[in-house]
Amino acid sequence: MPDSLQAAGVIHDLGYRGYDGPRLGRSQIVRALTWHSFRSSFGIGRGAKAKIIPVLAFIAMCLPALVNAFAVARGNSRLFGYDVYSPTLRVVVVTLFIAAQAPELVSRDLRSRVLPLYFCRPLRPGDYPLAKYLALTGALLLLIEVPLLILYAGTIASASGGRAVWHETRALIPGLGIGLMWAVLMAAIGLVLASRTGRRAYATGIVAITCFLTWSLSLLLLQAEGGMTATSTGARLAGLFSPFTILDGVRMWLGGTSPGEVANPGHYGPLYGVLAVVLLAASLGGLAARYRKVSQA
Amino acid sequence: MPPTPPAVIETRALTKVYPGHVTALDGLTVSVAPGVTGLVGANGAGKSTLIKILLGLLPPTKGQAKVLGHDCGSSADTIRTLLGYMPEHDCLPPDVTATEFVTHLGRMSGLPPTVAKERAAESLRHVGLHEERYRQIGTYSTGMKQRVKLAQALVGDPALLLLDEPTNGLDPAGRTAMLELIARIGAEFGISIVIASHLLGEIERICDQLVAIDAGRLLRADTITSFTQTSQVLAVEVTEGLAQLQAELAARGLAAAVHAKTLLVPLGGDGTYDVVRDCVADLALPLCRLEQRRHQVEELFRDDQDEQERVPHA
Repeated sequence: MPDSLQAAGVIHDLGYRGYDGPRLGRSQIVRALTWHSFRSSFGIGRGAKAKIIPVLAFIAMCLPALVNAFAVARGNSRLFGYDVYSPTLRVVVVTLFIAAQAPELVSRDLRSRVLPLYFCRPLRPGDYPLAKYLALTGALLLLIEVPLLILYAGTIASASGGRAVWHETRALIPGLGIGLMWAVLMAAIGLVLASRTGRRAYATGIVAITCFLTWSLSLLLLQAEGGMTATSTGARLAGLFSPFTILDGVRMWLGGTSPGEVANPGHYGPLYGVLAVVLLAASLGGLAARYRKVSQA
Repeated sequence: MPPTPPAVIETRALTKVYPGHVTALDGLTVSVAPGVTGLVGANGAGKSTLIKILLGLLPPTKGQAKVLGHDCGSSADTIRTLLGYMPEHDCLPPDVTATEFVTHLGRMSGLPPTVAKERAAESLRHVGLHEERYRQIGTYSTGMKQRVKLAQALVGDPALLLLDEPTNGLDPAGRTAMLELIARIGAEFGISIVIASHLLGEIERICDQLVAIDAGRLLRADTITSFTQTSQVLAVEVTEGLAQLQAELAARGLAAAVHAKTLLVPLGGDGTYDVVRDCVADLALPLCRLEQRRHQVEELFRDDQDEQERVPHA
């Protein structure tokens, strides 16, 4: 490598300059990592290939809202509820998105073993998963809430009178809250599953299969128990077997009335709430434990 | 040299026992002065464990460690702003450019955005990556990757660099270039450096001092000159009359040790060569090899055990 010797000679001439300027604190570094991860969860700052899935997912998610704007303009009433939106589409797109992008956020760094380079810097072991979690939550919020806002905008554009607008706004707010719930829980589940392995294809598989299998299981159980309108105990509990149906159960428990993915949980509602919180805590705990271990390896 | 420059690294009775009673560090007490320091030990001697404790990533089981005057347990955050670390293993994502990667890690070191960009470009230039830095790291040679690893350690303007086996996987020319680069950083950038390596012969050329550890214990910590005096030997090979030659050397005051059909003669100075030459000539032995040996660190460790074998059988 004769070039390198020459190159080393150049070093001498240029001289080294230290840095005495201000340095960011830990929280600012976490913020920088969060922003960096948020951008890469949409493929920004990566190649064109990395943008395909997030952009397609986003477009797919916006389609119903765009169709609604068209329909409302022609005199129809609003096609989708703000609380459930288009239920199946939302499950499928969110699953696809976290299956593709959670590995992008965590498996890549595991795979290329870049983590020691983070942990030898001012970041603490818990900061890294925190930043990744905030980033994916933010990305899911964008994915879920922007279509709701388009749905809202499309509807009020053709609404007549302040009363109708107020009515729409009041319907939108709980919808946004449910979107937040989805983002908070699904980001945690996606990351804890994806961080199990550095192999991206496996990580994607683990996330997708876990989400789809549990979802299908819940739907099948519900069907066996008589479907969405059934009021048997079995039907009320069928939704407890997958994160999506748990989220929908919580929605109904909190007063949601639109038909969604599950039968009305009735007095089992609190069970859905507790399970959602337990699932979130377990996922975040698992994520933190994972990175405590990785940081010492 | 001032009488006692403040130590960059200080450990006292540092012990690390992994689950399953694996002792990686066993009461290690050592003090490392500023400058370029070689941390030598065979694989599994405890070098990487020591580095992880210094970075505050692993809590010691017992004992204390200080880096640049800060305690590794209570001030790990402060220490990590002052350190640059280059791991032994591959740690680069293949699908980003070196510029992007080092800039990002500069940000993670706490540099503001524009400063991170500038310093990334500068660090990469210092390690000898110019136009290549806009290419994806996956297309780099091993030598270039090692340079990127060094650049990311340098980007945050550290006061101390911890380099774990920096010449791993490089060809001889690449090793020389990397070592020269490290020596330059130590001498001209005013950054203290600790190089962990199992190849004493290689790093002794650029180190001011050496710390040798074995099985988690301190074997020797000294300046490079006193190390080489005790560690350099002359390897003498003859096709026959090995015992004869050993006896003859002993008679002339050189305690030679037999190791794998080779006589290892402690190298005192140029005079040693003359004595060996004369002995071989006087005994009329067929000499087939006479070379100054660079010790592998394992041999250095064997010295104490081989003490008895050194007694010449007259």
